[in-house]
Amino acid sequence: MKLASKYNRVNLITSLVVLLFTGVIYYVVIHFILTEKLDRDLGVEEDEIKQYVKTYQQLPLPASYLDQQIYYRPLTGNVTETRDFKYTTFYNPKDKEMEPGRSLVTIVFLKNKPYEVNITKSRVESEDLVRIILLITLGVTGILLISLILINRFALTRLWKPFYKILLQMKDFNLTKMNEITYSKSDIDEFNELNESANLMASRVKQDYKDLRNFTDNASHEMMTPLAIINSKLDTLLQNGPFTEEQGIILDDIYKATGRLSRLNQGLLLLTKIENNLVPDIQVIALNELLEEKVRLFKELAENEKITFHLNLAAVKVNMSKYLADVLLNNLLSNAIKYNFKGGQIWIVLDQDSIQISNTGNDGEMDLNLFSRFAKSANSEGMGLGLAITKQICSLYNFSLSYKFETQKHWFSILFKNSDKAKVLHR
Amino acid sequence: MKILIVEDEYQLLESMKAYFAEAGTICETASNYAMASEKIALYDYDCILLDLGLPDGEGLDLVRKIRSLKKKDGILIISARHSLDDKLNGLDLGADDYLVKPFHLSELKARVTAIVRRKNFDGTNEILFNELTVDLSSMKTAVNKIPVVLTKKEYDLLIYFLSNKGKVVSKNAMAEHLWGDEMDIADDFDFIYTHVKNLRKKLVEAGALDYLKSVYGIGYKFG
Repeated sequence: MKLASKYNRVNLITSLVVLLFTGVIYYVVIHFILTEKLDRDLGVEEDEIKQYVKTYQQLPLPASYLDQQIYYRPLTGNVTETRDFKYTTFYNPKDKEMEPGRSLVTIVFLKNKPYEVNITKSRVESEDLVRIILLITLGVTGILLISLILINRFALTRLWKPFYKILLQMKDFNLTKMNEITYSKSDIDEFNELNESANLMASRVKQDYKDLRNFTDNASHEMMTPLAIINSKLDTLLQNGPFTEEQGIILDDIYKATGRLSRLNQGLLLLTKIENNLVPDIQVIALNELLEEKVRLFKELAENEKITFHLNLAAVKVNMSKYLADVLLNNLLSNAIKYNFKGGQIWIVLDQDSIQISNTGNDGEMDLNLFSRFAKSANSEGMGLGLAITKQICSLYNFSLSYKFETQKHWFSILFKNSDKAKVLHR
Repeated sequence: MKILIVEDEYQLLESMKAYFAEAGTICETASNYAMASEKIALYDYDCILLDLGLPDGEGLDLVRKIRSLKKKDGILIISARHSLDDKLNGLDLGADDYLVKPFHLSELKARVTAIVRRKNFDGTNEILFNELTVDLSSMKTAVNKIPVVLTKKEYDLLIYFLSNKGKVVSKNAMAEHLWGDEMDIADDFDFIYTHVKNLRKKLVEAGALDYLKSVYGIGYKFG
């Protein structure tokens, strides 16, 4: 729920409750006050009648005015003195209609004979007053609610505009693009502060990213140079034969170890690069063509193993780095060959949603730990980075990589959940 | 052939110099930006081997400088940074090729030879070696003028060997040359053997001398 609508809801509910409550109190209090006033008027009338009876020893004439009627009724028997206010109806002779009224019933004694006096006053004016007050209250409530809704809808949206602008830019913020979070200064302190903080964070992240990149570069340089020296010295040594067969074997071992070390170093650097999204050459890649090319290359390498390839490739395009696409397919295909047996088979199925590479193998199910760095199976000659790199590339592009061992086959499948692919396809 | 090696690592510089030292090749060296800059201004080279990471300057600036002087020297960038940006920048600025450390000297020699060959292209783009003729523009090979049909890999291997005549080339270097260093497939290079065997067989059957010798099981020597 958006902040504005949440705030709206709370605001509206509170206003409604408060206004209704006030309305009710208003009504009750005003009603009470007006009734009090009527009663007081009735009391004054009663006093006048009693005074009149005392002075003149006779009842005043039953009078019927516009808003007041008085009746007398002789009572018989034992009568106790009572004084009673009650709501009644009042006949308005002018308009010839019944109106709400308030009456006071009291007893006067004339020559020791009790008479009941009934004084009734019309309540219509006070009722009208109460009704008008109620209507005004309701009207004000309505206007207030409507203006609140309008304020929320228009003013709040405009007020929050700078916030959404910053938010949008933060969403679009891409380290590799090194874009700034721009902002037109608003007169709201909070948003200015937010913008400053966002920019501060972005610049700090950028600095860290730059440092990391520098570190990657430096680490690469520092390690590659000694490796280059070892390599070149070995090449030089090789020219200065003759060597015995034993020395030859030793030299060969050193060559292999050096090769492994440099591949390891390159693998590590690549992993760091992918993790930090330092591989920018994203382009549209025809996966089927790339796969065919790779299979041609690997067929030569797998010739000695008599491994056969079965391809079922649909024309699929994805958006990714060419370099990483190469690495990804190299890793998967070389694994399919490495963990195969002589005369084995490899199946590659490519469709719009996924790529599946399966191969015969006799090692049984692979340990899923192999997806982490430096984990490798006991008989592996690799350096244990291949699958970690594969996994990292997949997560960079939001592909999901899965593995299973079924019907004596290793199955690797990559699901392109990536929306980039859809974009390319629908273009 | 006159080349200039710009490299700040003394050990590497020495190895490269020693590998290139042969009759007909003049090899000069520079170990920093200032020295390289001076030599580039004064002399012409067939190829300049340029390390990007110099202590007193940015290697890419040297490329800019060479090109701004309108010199035709071939440029091979050597970098420890396996960075696509660097590669693209370098090639955009006018470098001819790009090699990442660590590399094999035989690979370096093959690349430099290719650059020099392209620079000195005089109409007959052919490599002659005794009875062997390789026409680089049509990618055709002949022994005593009789054509020999080679596969792409065999042809690549032959060019590689011709660039490294008289040197022992390790199987490791050959594998990387033919398949690239990303092919982390296996440490034994049996598949190299098949290609070398076929190449040798085709050349010998066409009447060439057997120039290919296996050396200590580590590699091969041509010539």
